[in-house]
Amino acid sequence: MISDEIIVHKFGGLQLLSHPLSISQKLFCLEQHRFSSLNGLTKEPDIISTVEFNHTGELLATGDKGGRVVIFQREQESKNQVHRRGEYNVYSTFQSHEPEFDYLKSLEIEEKINKIRWLPQQNAAYFLLSTNDKTVKLWKVSERDKRPEGYNLKDEEGRLRDPATITTLRVPVLRPMDLMVEATPRRVFANAHTYHINSISVNSDYETYMSADDLRINLWNFEITNQSFNIVDIKPANMEELTEVITAAEFHPHHCNTFVYSSSKGTIRLCDMRASALCDRHTKFFEEPEDPSNRSFFSEIISSISDVKFSHSGRYIMTRDYLTVKVWDLNMENRPIETYQVHDYLRSKLCSLYENDCIFDKFECVWNGSDSVIMTGSYNNFFRMFDRNTKRDVTLEASRENSKPRAILKPRKVCVGGKRRKDEISVDSLDFSKKILHTAWHPSENIIAVAATNNLYIFQDKVN
Amino acid sequence: MEFKLEAHRIVSISLGKIYNSRVQRGGIKLHKNLLVSLVLRSARQVYLSDPCPGLYLAGPAGTPAPPPQQPGEPAAGPPAGWGEPPPPAARAAWPEPERPAVPDAPWVGGAEPTATVTGAADAPQGRAADAAEAAWGRVEGPREAAARGAGSPAGGSDAFPEAPQAARRPCACPSGGEDRRGAAAASPGADRRCAPPPSADESPAPPAVCPRKRGAAGVGGGPAGCPAPGSTPLKKPRRNLEEQPGREEDDGAEEMETGNVANLISIFGSSFSGLLRKSSGGGREEEEGEESGPEAAEPGQICCDKPVLRDMNPWSTAIVAF
Repeated sequence: MISDEIIVHKFGGLQLLSHPLSISQKLFCLEQHRFSSLNGLTKEPDIISTVEFNHTGELLATGDKGGRVVIFQREQESKNQVHRRGEYNVYSTFQSHEPEFDYLKSLEIEEKINKIRWLPQQNAAYFLLSTNDKTVKLWKVSERDKRPEGYNLKDEEGRLRDPATITTLRVPVLRPMDLMVEATPRRVFANAHTYHINSISVNSDYETYMSADDLRINLWNFEITNQSFNIVDIKPANMEELTEVITAAEFHPHHCNTFVYSSSKGTIRLCDMRASALCDRHTKFFEEPEDPSNRSFFSEIISSISDVKFSHSGRYIMTRDYLTVKVWDLNMENRPIETYQVHDYLRSKLCSLYENDCIFDKFECVWNGSDSVIMTGSYNNFFRMFDRNTKRDVTLEASRENSKPRAILKPRKVCVGGKRRKDEISVDSLDFSKKILHTAWHPSENIIAVAATNNLYIFQDKVN
Repeated sequence: MEFKLEAHRIVSISLGKIYNSRVQRGGIKLHKNLLVSLVLRSARQVYLSDPCPGLYLAGPAGTPAPPPQQPGEPAAGPPAGWGEPPPPAARAAWPEPERPAVPDAPWVGGAEPTATVTGAADAPQGRAADAAEAAWGRVEGPREAAARGAGSPAGGSDAFPEAPQAARRPCACPSGGEDRRGAAAASPGADRRCAPPPSADESPAPPAVCPRKRGAAGVGGGPAGCPAPGSTPLKKPRRNLEEQPGREEDDGAEEMETGNVANLISIFGSSFSGLLRKSSGGGREEEEGEESGPEAAEPGQICCDKPVLRDMNPWSTAIVAF
């Protein structure tokens, strides 16, 4: 059981920071580990499959392949230790999805959590959406720190009292108890997707959300579980003519009528739900012409977009394909405004990566709170950050061995040819089984969560 | 020429992936299968557009007949109707290989050529392609030695004696493939059959990689039968593969023979019948399953629609990428 094995290491920070938004001067140090195993053996159900901060950054949710959700909560900073930033501790753990079997199709439905999305907080409880391949669930996570005592008809243990023994009546009172965090499924949105759900996105109206599978996107109302509206359907009448699938979808952060979805062909479509009920015709179409000099057998695979994210401002979208991250301006459809090479040294290894299936890995990408830095993962437990303003980039590593207490992350470098310097790692030594697919950035602070297979790393930058 | 080998290998790998996807937990993933089918289509186009006559296993007379198969091998190894090789005129346009070290190297398991591989080819790929190409050269031996002079890229004359025996023998994997048609449970049997053969197969030691490959083909099988250094890079991805009941993908990846491809085709039924045929013999593509069927059918459909490209130029850049 994962909770038995969690080790949370707390590290203080050392570092210096002069300009909070500049990558070159920002030094991340390891804040916490969450290890799911002590001896280094990875159990497959423990593999983290999604990471997401909530809207305030107070909570961090992770989902894993075993269908579990673990929520971390940030400690309130105490007045005594102003310099000690809040650490993330386990707040709640629950089993969100179980493996299911579709008898009609003789298909097993994996319990792996594909995505978690938080709802903005509207009362004391927290709400999140979690989804596997077929079913979306709305979970309510709430605290209970009082319980009623002094019932008339039952005693303190809950046993019924003999009414004949009751001579007086009293009003039950609420007494404090140990804090208990409970998660309850409030809604289950099922049976709406024939294909595998790859994305969910909460609308800015906080009343609706969408779920996207390979060929369709459905719009849901949170209150209604037995109906959804299909807003995008790219399934061809003849499946033999299928040429592309939907790979990710997201609502605009401010305009509740606008959303985007990306395709396996490397294109992004922006749709306006006011235009028609079925948004098969896009409002905007973003595509960069292919560079013919890079053509290979695998051009199509590496151009498939694995993640699309609106910037916080809503002005830009960021897309991740196998080798690059691109930033697009919503007002310019014919090419991205920025392209960043994540690990271009893999371009010559595509055939091997195809053989070992790594070429199908779906990396995610994230914006920081101010949209000035973008981050994405790579192999060998490396992750990369790109500063859009200074055009500098850094490669960091999330690993147990390299993270000592109070250690500041050292930038890593991959040597692509020629002489390998001492600290560099050569391309052939990269461990392709250690991949960072899921990362998250705190909405307002420089705190990042990085999922490395079954371990979660939380890094902060520290101010003296 | 090496485009063709690479393309063939990729076709085999892709077919293996599509096959394996049927037994994966969670059902067939549409996205991945679509991408695999696109790769399959590209590789197929290269394969068919390559003017090299080599891998055409032919029914029709006038084409170089495959050497007689070993007894016990399924006679259905080479699929019928695999298309005519291009006319001899096209052979004259045979491009010099980009890997000049190949003529010397293949006998050392292809380890050397990696240093001289041009372009962006990565080492494993280079080695594999070289090893494959060397085998190819030997396969070509009987025909090409006549058609070409000293320009023979793979020292064909050396391999001459072995080529006829070695070349056309489909590995036992096809028969494993027969099993595969039944159920995934049969694949352990297939694996055993494809287990490493005794290295005392017919090939002499020095031509390490490819003859043993052929030997492996003859006795039991593909991948594990090639312990030579040249095949190490191919082993690497194999270890990374998921533990699937069928290791057909490995066999498909390893084998130069088209026999196993033919058997994969027969496994999939008519979905792939037009896969490596240039004519519109694709016929009606059956849908394997709701989701993988369309992707499987796609390549065949393209086969029907598009004319065959004889022009190599569009793909020269593809080679640089390798």
